[in-house]
Amino acid sequence: MAFRLVTRNLRNRISFKLRSASLLHSHATSFGFKEVREEDKSQMVGKVFSNVASNYDLMNDFMSAGLHRLWKDRLVSKLSPFPGMKHLDVAGGTGDVAFRILESINSIRHRALQDTINDDLREETRIYVCDINQNMLNVGKNRALERGLGEDKSLVWVQGDAETLSFEDNSMDGYSIAFGIRNVTHIEKALTEAYRVLKRGGRFLCLELSHVEIPVFKELYDLYSFSVIPRLGEAVAGDRESYQYLVESIRRFPPQERFASMIVDAGFHKVEYENLVGGVVAIHSGLKI
Amino acid sequence: MYRMAANRFLHHASLVKNSGGSSLLRFPILRTVITSSWFSTYADPQTFPNQTLHPSDSSTSSSSPTTAGDDPRQRRKNPRAEYEEEQDHVLQASLRHVIRFGWSEETMIAGAKEVGVSPSIVGSFPRKEAALVEFFMDDCLQRLIDRIDSGEELRQLIPSQRISKLVRIRLEMQAPYISKWPQALSFQAHPLNVPTSFKQRAMLVDEIWHAAGDEASDIDWYVKRTFLGGIYSATEIYMLTDRSPEFRDTWLFLDDRVKDAFDLKKTLQEATYLAEAVGAGMGSSLQGFVGKVFQR
Repeated sequence: MAFRLVTRNLRNRISFKLRSASLLHSHATSFGFKEVREEDKSQMVGKVFSNVASNYDLMNDFMSAGLHRLWKDRLVSKLSPFPGMKHLDVAGGTGDVAFRILESINSIRHRALQDTINDDLREETRIYVCDINQNMLNVGKNRALERGLGEDKSLVWVQGDAETLSFEDNSMDGYSIAFGIRNVTHIEKALTEAYRVLKRGGRFLCLELSHVEIPVFKELYDLYSFSVIPRLGEAVAGDRESYQYLVESIRRFPPQERFASMIVDAGFHKVEYENLVGGVVAIHSGLKI
Repeated sequence: MYRMAANRFLHHASLVKNSGGSSLLRFPILRTVITSSWFSTYADPQTFPNQTLHPSDSSTSSSSPTTAGDDPRQRRKNPRAEYEEEQDHVLQASLRHVIRFGWSEETMIAGAKEVGVSPSIVGSFPRKEAALVEFFMDDCLQRLIDRIDSGEELRQLIPSQRISKLVRIRLEMQAPYISKWPQALSFQAHPLNVPTSFKQRAMLVDEIWHAAGDEASDIDWYVKRTFLGGIYSATEIYMLTDRSPEFRDTWLFLDDRVKDAFDLKKTLQEATYLAEAVGAGMGSSLQGFVGKVFQR
């Protein structure tokens, strides 16, 4: 019996060491519920989004029953855009958030109250849409044309990686990332980059699918995610794998409080989050002082 | 005692207005405020480094080595103080633009540009325009307290005159903004902002009574403050449409109201006696009537 105890202790200790070693070992990361090498993750994510690009908006509408529009509206209203603003929207490929910001700045409500000085300021507004995937950017550019914003020089489409942005320090009034930070390999790097490019007083806003804790609703949501969404992906976009990845990556993403503490670690002040639809979606915000 | 309490409230009020939460009074040490409505839960997790959230998550402990060693309380106060300082700077600078743009987002954007901070910071103020109005109210209250502390002129006056003078001093601080003051009042009346604005006015009225030498602690305390609150609001609104030079008519109005209130106190006492007498008389006849009805 003593022998069994000893072997059990030994086994526990070894497995604990192995486990902790694998946790501290930073070369592996998660791709949904699969463990993959870091170098591979961005490639795999790239493939997912090349596949979904053309049907991205349609699928968004289906999966969220059109609610994603309201969520993005809420994100932009929290941002409070102003004329002359320099804003960076990361992972904003198809341009949803960027269009909303531009429309908010140009809206009648704003224009009615302003004097001529602000007209010049509005010319200086720049919304940079940055995405790692060129296909998504192309879809975005086409949508801009459709909306009549093709000639608008306020919109700038840039291909880039959230972990190493090509923008200068202290150059942005606002930074937003909607449904994108989940796909980044090193979230801390993206947050540090966000902190770097923001000016003093600049705001960081992140809209992301997050964790639901409400008892019954949680089960319903899980059922919906794992049963309905991949099948919907198969039916509408012909791609079950990508949507399986999507649903799994939501579960792997840190919960609201944990993510908020990561934002604090990146140096931001006044870090807050707001749950929408009971936690299905959360908007985290931070300020650079 | 009231003075210290008022100062403490003032300090907390400035913290409260910056937090965006819905609780009225918070101590700096207390952290999370959670308000939940059906579809939106909102929490303020500013003091995260001190919570042990996921002790089993050892992989992430390596990413924040600096926070572990710091003194938790110090780290908690400093970021918050920085933010509030910045907010105060911006709001102070914004006050200079109120006359041009009113109590609006644009004013605060202009203020932020003046201070040298990105105007995006305005988006982070809780209830934006209301934040500016509340800052102004707190600022005026502080100036009033300073004035009371330094002023000798109040000693020679009787209570009713003291009150009159104090209300006048306070309303004169609003005089430069009088053209835009209706807008500020409308913000204060907005349901979301009513708790804070009510509290600020309560503090103001309390401060004035204290300076006027009030020592009451019974039901009179509430009656007095309600009265003064009414007088103050009435004068404030009268001032909005007053075109006389240096608001002379407003001060006459104020003096009349204060006199009425002090007279009213005596009249109320007499009215109570009258009511008692009438009640007694009526009571006996009513008793007789009811008796007759039930006898049948």
